[in-house]
Amino acid sequence: MICCVRTPHPSLVAAWLKEPALRGRSLVIGGLAHERASVTTASAEARAQGVVEGMSLNQAQQFSPDAIFQPVDEEAIARVRQSLLSTLHHFTPDVAAGEDPGCGFLRLDRLTLRWPDCSRLLAAISRAVEAVIRETPAIGVASSMFVSKVAAAHATCNAPMIVDHDRTRAYLARYPIEILPLDDDLREYLQLLGLKTIGRLQAISRPAFRRQFGVKALEVYDLALGDDRRRLRPWRPAVRIEESEPLDPPVDNTEALQFIARALAERVSASLLAQGLGTRALRITLTQESASPLPIEVRFAYPMTTAGELFDGIRPRLLRASIVAPLERITLRAGRLEAAYVRQPGLLIRRDGFKESIADAVARLQEEYGSSLIQRVEVHADAAPLVDHRIVWKPA
Amino acid sequence: MTGIGGWPVGRLSLLTGPRGCGKRTLAQRSVAAASLTGPVAYVDFPSRLDPEFLNHLDTRLDRLLVVRPKSLKEGMASVRVLARAGVDLICIDLPRTRSAGLDAELPHLLHRVAEADCTLLLIYDAEADDAIRYYASMILAFQRSAWVFRRDGDLEGLLVDATVVKNRLAPPGLKRRLIIPYPIP
Repeated sequence: MICCVRTPHPSLVAAWLKEPALRGRSLVIGGLAHERASVTTASAEARAQGVVEGMSLNQAQQFSPDAIFQPVDEEAIARVRQSLLSTLHHFTPDVAAGEDPGCGFLRLDRLTLRWPDCSRLLAAISRAVEAVIRETPAIGVASSMFVSKVAAAHATCNAPMIVDHDRTRAYLARYPIEILPLDDDLREYLQLLGLKTIGRLQAISRPAFRRQFGVKALEVYDLALGDDRRRLRPWRPAVRIEESEPLDPPVDNTEALQFIARALAERVSASLLAQGLGTRALRITLTQESASPLPIEVRFAYPMTTAGELFDGIRPRLLRASIVAPLERITLRAGRLEAAYVRQPGLLIRRDGFKESIADAVARLQEEYGSSLIQRVEVHADAAPLVDHRIVWKPA
Repeated sequence: MTGIGGWPVGRLSLLTGPRGCGKRTLAQRSVAAASLTGPVAYVDFPSRLDPEFLNHLDTRLDRLLVVRPKSLKEGMASVRVLARAGVDLICIDLPRTRSAGLDAELPHLLHRVAEADCTLLLIYDAEADDAIRYYASMILAFQRSAWVFRRDGDLEGLLVDATVVKNRLAPPGLKRRLIIPYPIP
């Protein structure tokens, strides 16, 4: 069984978490009222006054003159989404992000030993989500992602909607065809034929539906029967490996700096080893006493894990760095984490089992020798008869 | 002419001869043909690559990486990394001046190229060093032979003699006369 946890749009949740006084008030997200933009989402109070998604902000203000307008905060949305998914990840690793920003899916099949009573599990999920985003989610449980999403959309916050596998077809039959992902042509065609509910669609046989609407439309037909073949693509929580060392008193000696960088590389390496990971990019941030922080990027062809390898990448760049003031802090952050096993030497092939993509190779060379080293060329035959107009060189 | 139906894969081929005898033309035609099947790179030390000529040859320019190194070290590092990353054909256009250090770089380079099954073409205007001649699996020497005129007296092209001086994969010594047609667009 698959459980769909549905919360209000993350930008609304982010706004409410930032200013709890906005709860219960008419709130429109998408931009300030005078801006030329459209409504991303709106609170239930604003919707009650006629504001809908996609409407222009000017129109939204006419419908809801007392509404509060706020711009979209992408970072806050990402934070809310991450916290929702990581909360669900505590229950099971089989978690997937939904296409709708406020949706998350869990596979419940492997939780029966730990949670024999499904209603208790759903209550625990609801409590956990509420503790994080201060909002009670709507929960739907069904045999597929599509049906669980429909169930969650029609569930109330206090009562989860559980649709048994046997009842799926009957459950969907009462809903209008608008809940299916129809393209405009198919929707219009179905309406012309008077097929307004999923039940009417289910009454048509599969071969007849295929003959009438083609093979592509069979996907919609399967969804109408509750058969969703999409796989739940697991979401993985972000791993952050960062080590930092304050320097007191501030350091202006490169020998000392190398010594500290080596120690940090050993700590980063230990974290990577513990998780079986390798890093393809290291970011060193040197916080200077009376100047802006100096970021240094190091890229590797392979996922590196050992302290020696990491330090070999760091050392030449530290020596080349233009440090203008004594350093107060040095921070090492491992990025582009990959499984370290790709460096296992192949026993039956000549290579070491790892191949860097051309884009990565180009990026690494440009980082090392400058962006002008590798270029791409475009020829505009119909441009003005000047060499610079006809031949355009761009960094690859 | 090469005896194996094209350039040897995973090996170095050297195109040598005086200026203006068709080495670059042949190399750019090879780059154009290879770009139809995969990514290619052109290491352009003397900045003599002609993109319009490549475009005229229907080269997939989106698959062409042009490397413009400031030093031999940069160029050779680029070749090693790109070969390993999966570029199918790399053409190195060396400067006319003697490339110090190239003989030391070549063994490492050829190891990578062989490992990655990449085809390496080297264009050298000057008389190639013994080391380069030793490491090359195939050497094609070009020589200008004569001008070719049309019946009306206009210049039609350049007649070039191409000789396979060295070939480790097939019998060497084959000669061909090629016409480089003018005007090159």
